[in-house]
Amino acid sequence: MLNLIKADLYRVFKGKSIYIALIILLSLISISCFTMSPGHIGIAATKDTSDVIYDEELNQKLSDTNSIIETRRLVKEYGSYPIDKLQLGANINLYYFFIIIVAVVLVNDLSNSTAKNTLSSAISRKKYYASKLITCLLLGTGLILMNNYVGYFLNLIMNGTNFSSGILEITKLTILQLPILYGIISLLVCLGFCFKKSANFNSITIPLIILVQLTIMGIATLFHLDANHLLSYELQYILTNLVTNQTTTYLVKTTLLGLIYFIGFTAIGYTVFKKAEIK
Amino acid sequence: MNKTVLKTINLTKKYKNFTALDHVNITIKKGDIYGLIGRNGAGKTTLMKTVTTLTEKTEGSFQLFENTSQELTESKRRIGCLIENPAFFANLTVVQNLKYYAIQKGIVDQKQIDQALTLVDLTKQKKKKFKNLSLGMKQRLGIALAILDNPDFIILDEPINGLDPIGIKEIRDTLKKLNEENGITLLISSHILSELYLIANHFCFIEKGKVIKELSKEELDLECSKCIVIKVENTKKATVILEKELHTTNYKVINKQEIRLYDYLDNSAKVNKCLVKENIDVISIYESGISLEEYFDTLIKEGDASC
Repeated sequence: MLNLIKADLYRVFKGKSIYIALIILLSLISISCFTMSPGHIGIAATKDTSDVIYDEELNQKLSDTNSIIETRRLVKEYGSYPIDKLQLGANINLYYFFIIIVAVVLVNDLSNSTAKNTLSSAISRKKYYASKLITCLLLGTGLILMNNYVGYFLNLIMNGTNFSSGILEITKLTILQLPILYGIISLLVCLGFCFKKSANFNSITIPLIILVQLTIMGIATLFHLDANHLLSYELQYILTNLVTNQTTTYLVKTTLLGLIYFIGFTAIGYTVFKKAEIK
Repeated sequence: MNKTVLKTINLTKKYKNFTALDHVNITIKKGDIYGLIGRNGAGKTTLMKTVTTLTEKTEGSFQLFENTSQELTESKRRIGCLIENPAFFANLTVVQNLKYYAIQKGIVDQKQIDQALTLVDLTKQKKKKFKNLSLGMKQRLGIALAILDNPDFIILDEPINGLDPIGIKEIRDTLKKLNEENGITLLISSHILSELYLIANHFCFIEKGKVIKELSKEELDLECSKCIVIKVENTKKATVILEKELHTTNYKVINKQEIRLYDYLDNSAKVNKCLVKENIDVISIYESGISLEEYFDTLIKEGDASC
């Protein structure tokens, strides 16, 4: 299995996709730090945090200016808030980067029929599934660490200590978010094994986050349930809440949820793949 | 006695209402070049995909190197495959593609990649991206992958597809060399019998998922060679006459009324005269000899009739 993982890493780093993904990720972090607007910059912008971090007077001044340089000056003058920490609240952006990882590592292999070269040799389907999952988790972890720590250091350099929460806090939050992020990766790997073809995989995974939110809100409206309560266990909200709402109960619940996602989606994906015909 | 490399026992594969393989029983011995012949959709690829576990069998079983399907993983280590079209990563070069699979297989020696590329004559193209290769080159890269790990058994599905005549000859020579020098057993499928005839020493004709004939090259030669077809009322009596009067045992009794005689090809009149003289009722006597394609066609028609 180690050889399979090594081979996949060799292939991933020989291709361009991972480097393009890294450039986009670093650009997002840099822009977010420079504009001092955590959660506003990204493919999936998170909940508006301006109410939390800006007061009314500052908000008024900010709305009167169009210059980023002026915005930076005003924000620095008026106060301090942990940009790096709030940036972690917008980590749902990583979902789209995980799609790239799963597409490159797994879906490309199944879609191009290159998987048959591997599976017709001495590799069992169990080993194949496990190796793909581990490779995605490894690359995903690398991406999470790069996103969080590069964000931390860039913010420190660009905005100074007043806007930084410290490396220990970032490390703690990174660890707290890991279970749910691993749950997301296992969901994407499961979908990759279920849909196999790149076009199918992309058309399902790209709008999935929005579809889940819409479904939750639809259910809440239909059955007169508390939408906010339901949404607090939705992936995007969990990642944001883990930064702002760290009660022990919530931490335990979200960690368990991540674990359930991981085990559940792995079991579903493997069951489907075990019986699948390799074309 | 040669060891069995692959043995299928009533191997069956069904897709809903369609039976792709119907109780297939074949045996491939070590050192064989086993040709699998059938029309498009006859079940050749399904058979190969089933024994390489790319698809699940519905019924029956198979043994690889005398191991049953429950303990296949180790046996599969000794196989090299090219099934359906050669599939590789389009944006990787020839050598990068092979290196990817070499890492997977735990091959650390770069020489093995070079050797495989030399064998299929792709050394000059090793830095070309897969997407820029011609169909023939892609096919040869598929064969290079199949032989990369020095396997004992190679499964090749229509390996000459898309190759030019020189390419076909080169691949044929390479495969023969692998068989003769390295003792590698080969299972090759094709719908071009004449091409397969030049390389294989055992043949299996498959149609509608069923094996309709399994025979050696010698037997195939005998089936297709020139002969005198004698149709008589009593084949037993006729064969006694052939042996006693014409001093030949070079004949084959096909059925209750038909004998094929492989001697006296220029003198069927003498054979006829001799039989008639001994009071044998000769229904018909004529010279015959069929091409491989005609033989294949006859088998398919017989198969259709029996269905």
